[in-house]
Amino acid sequence: MSVVYALATPPAKSAICVFRVTGKGCHKSLNNFFGSRCFEPNVFNVVFFSGLDGVVDRVGLVVFKAPKSYTGEDSFEVYAHGGLAVMSNISKAFRGFGFEEAVGGEFTKRAFLNNKISLNEAEAVSDLIDCTDENGVVLSTNSLLGGLASQVSFFAGEIDGIRVRIEAEIDFSDEGESFYDVAGLLDDLKNLKNRFDLFVGGCVNKKVGSQKKNIVLIGPVNSGKSSVFNRLVGFDRAIVSNTPGTTRDMIESELFFESSVFSIFDTAGVRDAEDDVEKAGIQYSLSQANDSDLVIGVFEESDQGVFDYFKGLCEHNRFISIQNKVDINKPIKGVFDCYVSAKTGAGFDVLKGVIGNCFQSGLKLEKYDFLIRDRHEALFNKSVSDIELAVAGLLDNKPLELVAEDLKSARSNLDEVVGVKYSDSLLGDIFSSFCIGK
Amino acid sequence: MDKFDVVVVGGGHAGVEAAHSVFRMGLSCALVTLNIKNIGQMSCNPAIGGLGKSHIVREIGAMGGIMPIATDMSGIQYRTLNTRKGDAVQALRVQCDRDLYKKAIQKILKKTTIEVFDEEVMDIIIEKNLVKGVVTKTKTIKGAKTILTTGTFLNGKMYTGDIVSTGGRSGDPSSIPLSKKLYKLSLPMGRLKTGTPARIKLSSINIHKMEEQPGEKPTPWMSTYQKPKKHQKQISCFITRTNKKTHEIIKQSTHLSAMYSGNITGIGPRYCPSIEDKINRFKEKNSHQIFIEPEGINKDLVYPNGISTSLPKNIQTEFIQSIKGLENSEITDFGYAVEYDFVDPRSIKPTLELKTLKNFYLAGQINGTTGYEEAAAQGLIAGVNAAASILNKKELILERSEAYIGVLIDDLTNHGITEPYRMFTSRAEHRLLLSQNNAEQRLLKKAYKVGLVDKKRYNNFNEQEEEYKRFVNDILKKTKTKNFINNKKQKIKLSENKNIYKLLKRNDVDKHKLFKTNKTNKKHYKRAITETKYHGYIEKQLREVKKTKKQNNKKIPTTTNYSNISGLSNEVKERLNKNKPRTIGSAARMEGVTPAAVNLILIQLKKEELLKQKT
Ligand SMILES: Cc1cc2nc3c(=O)[nH]c(=O)nc-3n(C[C@H](O)[C@H](O)[C@H](O)COP(=O)(O)OP(=O)(O)OC[C@H]3O[C@@H](n4cnc5c(N)ncnc54)[C@H](O)[C@@H]3O)c2cc1C
Ligand SMILES: Nc1nc2c(ncn2[C@@H]2O[C@H](COP(=O)(O)OP(=O)(O)OP(=O)(O)O)[C@@H](O)[C@H]2O)c(=O)[nH]1
Ligand SMILES: [Mg+2]
Repeated sequence: MSVVYALATPPAKSAICVFRVTGKGCHKSLNNFFGSRCFEPNVFNVVFFSGLDGVVDRVGLVVFKAPKSYTGEDSFEVYAHGGLAVMSNISKAFRGFGFEEAVGGEFTKRAFLNNKISLNEAEAVSDLIDCTDENGVVLSTNSLLGGLASQVSFFAGEIDGIRVRIEAEIDFSDEGESFYDVAGLLDDLKNLKNRFDLFVGGCVNKKVGSQKKNIVLIGPVNSGKSSVFNRLVGFDRAIVSNTPGTTRDMIESELFFESSVFSIFDTAGVRDAEDDVEKAGIQYSLSQANDSDLVIGVFEESDQGVFDYFKGLCEHNRFISIQNKVDINKPIKGVFDCYVSAKTGAGFDVLKGVIGNCFQSGLKLEKYDFLIRDRHEALFNKSVSDIELAVAGLLDNKPLELVAEDLKSARSNLDEVVGVKYSDSLLGDIFSSFCIGK
Repeated sequence: MDKFDVVVVGGGHAGVEAAHSVFRMGLSCALVTLNIKNIGQMSCNPAIGGLGKSHIVREIGAMGGIMPIATDMSGIQYRTLNTRKGDAVQALRVQCDRDLYKKAIQKILKKTTIEVFDEEVMDIIIEKNLVKGVVTKTKTIKGAKTILTTGTFLNGKMYTGDIVSTGGRSGDPSSIPLSKKLYKLSLPMGRLKTGTPARIKLSSINIHKMEEQPGEKPTPWMSTYQKPKKHQKQISCFITRTNKKTHEIIKQSTHLSAMYSGNITGIGPRYCPSIEDKINRFKEKNSHQIFIEPEGINKDLVYPNGISTSLPKNIQTEFIQSIKGLENSEITDFGYAVEYDFVDPRSIKPTLELKTLKNFYLAGQINGTTGYEEAAAQGLIAGVNAAASILNKKELILERSEAYIGVLIDDLTNHGITEPYRMFTSRAEHRLLLSQNNAEQRLLKKAYKVGLVDKKRYNNFNEQEEEYKRFVNDILKKTKTKNFINNKKQKIKLSENKNIYKLLKRNDVDKHKLFKTNKTNKKHYKRAITETKYHGYIEKQLREVKKTKKQNNKKIPTTTNYSNISGLSNEVKERLNKNKPRTIGSAARMEGVTPAAVNLILIQLKKEELLKQKT
């Protein structure tokens, strides 16, 4: 059986997400994703997951060897941070490697077929899937896509409308009636294509989280910004060193609080930079500070001038200041909002609370964000290019049944999201739109 | 008492095709029908073929059936539809001489061993859930298999205005005892209706006021094998239109129409509306086209196609005489609607045998279809499967990707019907694979293997295929050229020599100027043009077919109880239990059945297999 993967947790923002991969030969990919193929089975490893454009996340990995796995096949599980960008990148990496996204129940089916679980168990699992489904925890395709589905079905309806005209022309050409004029049809098709294309583009942007709230860490060089950053995101994402000027490019990661996700940025520390690369980095940090929802100034000691300089950078956004390295320096009471040590972790509970409060009181958090699955994105794009083909075909005087074929294909790419358009129902539309019949 | 291998009830299009396929399979067959003079009678419009339908006729022909031959023995006007579109959706429509068609069928049957009985079947013999034959008014006729093809006759009622009479069609009685019997067997039954227009004397109409529509020249053939030596005399059809006055008359009398009076409960076909329906539903249209079609060569009668009605007789006369060219119409028979019983086709298997009664097959309009071609196709399939079962041969079931007949039977047995079912090309998801011109390539070998087609024809077919292959490989692929004429009549120079076959794939080439054909290779060249034009699309459809074939062909035992499968929604459970899809493919095509649901069904199947192994 082929290698399939699935997101085992809800495709919504959460603290953690779990991917399962199963199928003969799936271990061949370990080297590609985790830089090594030797993992002891059944042991929890902490590793970096590399996707198409480098490291995606630091993740937990457990490798299972056939037949000692849930499905009875070689498989592995990845526990990653539950942000939309992470999920999307991991899933993209899997598909890039030639894995297929599993349909619901596939894992249980394989487990059952490989005699790993009894029927009772199989049924229990599917019951579980079904009932959680109803509660909206694991979201069925429709509810998962929520608003998206209704948007897509709007486009699907337009494709159906055009197919009605073309199919009528094919099946009822002896009625002595003409069902469309080519120019009008072409206009409608081009117009539909453009709008659909835009819409798909919009979905993709949404997917990488343009609506997320941004938090930026700024401060003088060597004050411990990268260390605070790593502590906040929970793993060593940024490089830390005692050489001032270590961080040169902005680094982004996702930060999870209860049910919400933020983008947090580590920036280059500010000083009179010596080289151009660093200068550019600082420049960018400052501009980013202006665009963000919350700025956290990280300081080592109290220098009123420095403090005012940073605070002055962000007149329009919220600013909180923290004093770092309180394990070695004395906290200067009454000056900072928070006192922490990135080294020991002291004060981070308070810091998280302060960050949380900032957003709860002022900014409204997006309650629910949907993940457009990569597979769907690919399908929608395919649909757009099918419509393009139909337009070209009409311009080219291609036989109408081939144009019909392109449109059928355009429509069937949307089936999974909005449901199949059966020929009988299409015929029904033809009969209600045109006076047909002798 | 008489005893046969197969007893066929009904001498309509389904019945004769069923009986003839039993005969071709080498078994004995009785054909029991009311009024043997009407065997092969066309109840409605005397035309065979048309969009989606000529495909079926050619498929019947490729399996040795008689419909295409009878069509050519009686065809008086041939026209190919959709000539501006590609090969897959082109269709031949043949206007027939109604009497000659019937005679042709009867002549073909005379040359067989089929024994014909002029009897009304009153009862069906059932012993222990096995059907063993039929009882007529005067005798018992036994058969190992029985095929019922009674068309519109079961409790048939005809309506014209407020006049109701019993009958299966004008001039024929209705079949009431048999209908009662089927109800007693608790088969799921329902009522459908259809209608027909008045018939008018040709001598009473003025064709000079109408647009003439001559047949195609040169006249094509419906049959591809054993066609008659010569065509019948070819005649033109004529076109006229309804007008404001016509619509006025009909609007004012609509309430008098049988269809609107509330007497009829049966559901009519949406694509075959009566003229009163058309005028009321599409109020903005102020004119509808009417084809005036001759009923026969020397017959003083025409069929006005497009004004089917159940209005009272005087209104029919009035509105017909308001139409251009029909002012002095003399009407010989008035239009009527007919309402009849049908059996929900979800109760039959794809072999057309009833799921609940063994050795009992249903074919034709009784299964909720309409049209001669749809009926004949089912007759053939019921006949061959009844015979195959007796001979212990493998059943003949056609795939959706292989034949329109496959689409027809799969739709009927899986989805049932909501109105009289007619074929359209859009019903076939693999439409490009199913041309009226490649039916033999699709079906002949299968038909030969099961025994429907003889060795001689099979060899003949193989020779032709070889000839085509040679033409492509030895001529088209070896003839090279450095330039061609494009669609805009310009001469295009190529950078290097290319063979004709490659150039055929280009969209801009004028294919008729690319290669000079002769008498023998003309049809091969035409086929090569089609195949290259569709190339990419066909590959894609074949890939799709292949991809899903293995899983789709997995059989689901009819005993499967879907209520036991947890995880399926109640709605899907109910639908699956009702329809009992035969394969995973059929299940997957049902509304609401998601890939996840298919997985659950597969799990259940495996469970049943395991349980079987244990016991
Ligand atoms: C009024 C009318 C209008 C129609 N309009 C259209 C149309 O617009 N378009 C279209 O495509 N099709 C139309 N049709 C349908 C077309 O005629 C049928 O689909 C086709 O003829 C069905 O073929 P069949 O073999 O199933 O049944 P039929 O051709 O009806 O044949 C049934 C046969 O069974 C015999 N029979 C019935 N009961 C018994 C019995 N108890 N014992 C012995 N023999 C019996 C009858 O004598 C007859 O020979 C119309 C039919 C009618 C009657
Ligand atoms: N003792 C102690 N040392 C710390 C703490 N936080 C950071 N450091 C150390 O301070 C040095 C600088 O830390 P970084 O996190 O790289 O500082 P930065 O602000 O990102 O520096 P640049 O990127 O160069 O601007 C490192 O040697 C850290 O180990 C802390 O809370 N306590
Ligand atoms: Mg740093």
